[in-house]
Amino acid sequence: MSGKNNVTSFQKVLVANRGEIALRILRTLKEMNIKSVAVYSEADRNSLHVRMADEAVCIGPASSSQSYLNIDAIVTAATITGADAVHPGYGFLSENAEFAAAVAKAGLTFIGPSAETISMLGVKSTARKIAVKAGVAVTPGSDGVVGANYHAAARKIGFPLMIKAALGGGGKGMRACLKEEDLDRMFKTAQAEARANFGDDRMYFEKLVLNPRHIEVQVAADNYGNVVAFAERDCSLQRRHQKLVEESPSPFVDSKTRLQLQEAACKVVKAAKYGGLGTVEFLMAPTKEFYFMEVNTRLQVEHPVTEEVCGHDLVKLQIQLAQGEVLPFSQKEAAAIKCHAIEHRINAEDSERNFAPCPGTVSEWTPAGGLGVRVDSHMYTGYAIPTYYDSLIAKLIVTAPDRARLLARSRRCLSEFLVEGIKTTLPFHQKIVVNSDFVSGNTDTGLIERMLKQEKENESQS
Amino acid sequence: MDTKLVKEVTDWLKTTDLAEFCYGKDGDSIEIKTREALPEPAQFESSLVSVCSPAVGIYHAAEKGKTLSLVQGQAVAQAAPLGWVETVGKKHKVTAPCAGKLQAIAVQEGAVVEFGLPLFFIEP
Repeated sequence: MSGKNNVTSFQKVLVANRGEIALRILRTLKEMNIKSVAVYSEADRNSLHVRMADEAVCIGPASSSQSYLNIDAIVTAATITGADAVHPGYGFLSENAEFAAAVAKAGLTFIGPSAETISMLGVKSTARKIAVKAGVAVTPGSDGVVGANYHAAARKIGFPLMIKAALGGGGKGMRACLKEEDLDRMFKTAQAEARANFGDDRMYFEKLVLNPRHIEVQVAADNYGNVVAFAERDCSLQRRHQKLVEESPSPFVDSKTRLQLQEAACKVVKAAKYGGLGTVEFLMAPTKEFYFMEVNTRLQVEHPVTEEVCGHDLVKLQIQLAQGEVLPFSQKEAAAIKCHAIEHRINAEDSERNFAPCPGTVSEWTPAGGLGVRVDSHMYTGYAIPTYYDSLIAKLIVTAPDRARLLARSRRCLSEFLVEGIKTTLPFHQKIVVNSDFVSGNTDTGLIERMLKQEKENESQS
Repeated sequence: MDTKLVKEVTDWLKTTDLAEFCYGKDGDSIEIKTREALPEPAQFESSLVSVCSPAVGIYHAAEKGKTLSLVQGQAVAQAAPLGWVETVGKKHKVTAPCAGKLQAIAVQEGAVVEFGLPLFFIEP
């Protein structure tokens, strides 16, 4: 690690978030002996983050748009409390370039990449171009709009492929085409749909990766060109693109692929001149070929999985990098696999009734405990969950020396975790950890939907 | 019914922490309920209308170079200006929600205020 360092230590940091992630950040600030400021909406007056911070400021009414998404109110709160940096957490304004710029304009440090980097990587096509330039594979596509010779373009990419409308969105003008015989018919219906919905019938192709896994790599970069990548997280267990379970290392990735993933992630980060903590997401085919998807320019919900595996506090690292410090450890240390870890996202949702949100008052809160167990949560007995925000109530993070012992521990934790007064996704997690495909590591992004479909079929039969 | 006993029990209950007390006689039955551990929030009624801060920021009675002197007890019209709350990028007007008498001024020039903090109380 080399480079001139220009370090400014933060005295006071404002946490522009709520819930478990606000607590998570406050804990690290306390350990680093940095004063903290919490912000809260009127609906969060009784929240733990308000109690745990050194200072707390009410920034607006319950609705997020007027409180946790209110750039002016948050920057004002940071200025009048004398904070010298703002940590955005995840969600809300964490990937909002305008917010990062407003924080910087007020003379404060935004704990994250620069506004320019956020807006550059936020545009998918720009991020894709950066990856291509860095020599990282992206899902093969038609490189722009296809014309009358679309057959040749399709053959070049290979089947199966996705037919997409250039101005598309929301699944309109989109078709999955499995073989060339279907191409003409599918292309024409997709094009007609695009014309009807967007008044534009320009189409393009993208390779369709069947049964893909969602594999992501945590990265960290300092201001002096040093970059490290951590062991990958497997986030294939998703329902409607919402991650439910994340684990690290992935049971599917071998050590050779792991190195390739880390190398690819570092290349993208270096090419983007990225600074701070981030995540590079890949789509992995059953052949272990992987394609760049996007870069998340913030701390992620599932960061504890990596913290457990590598043994480093990632929030602390994020703060150190924002203070201008040199990366405090080497690639070898970052990539160390000290244990196997899994995270179960517990939401206030009724998994028996199509995951309907289930806010209410928690009449009993007795989380799992014991060896290898970490619960990141803002719940307490008697807490009334407001209806305005995200339904995540806890992250159960379990660690063990290997995957077999990890799953045994996960099963034990999920069975002893007691939440009364509201419905949660705990029963669904109990089903996941005994699912034979999951246990054998045979997971892809469609597994949860298949599990739910199977359940429905079983119900209708009985 | 022994009203004297009822009065005695009621008076005694007032000296305890008990919320409910049932008493049987021949069937030997006693049922006692204690109050919730958490105290109920204080409830009081007031005829005063509060004027709360519309934002987190710094309160100014008037714009720079101008003065607005507010005096306790003065009459205010509905929508009368009561100052500004200045944030990094905006100025939020504070106005009287109703006509009445300005009974209390709870904010001073240049004070840091949170969203929702009562700044004034008006008696309609």
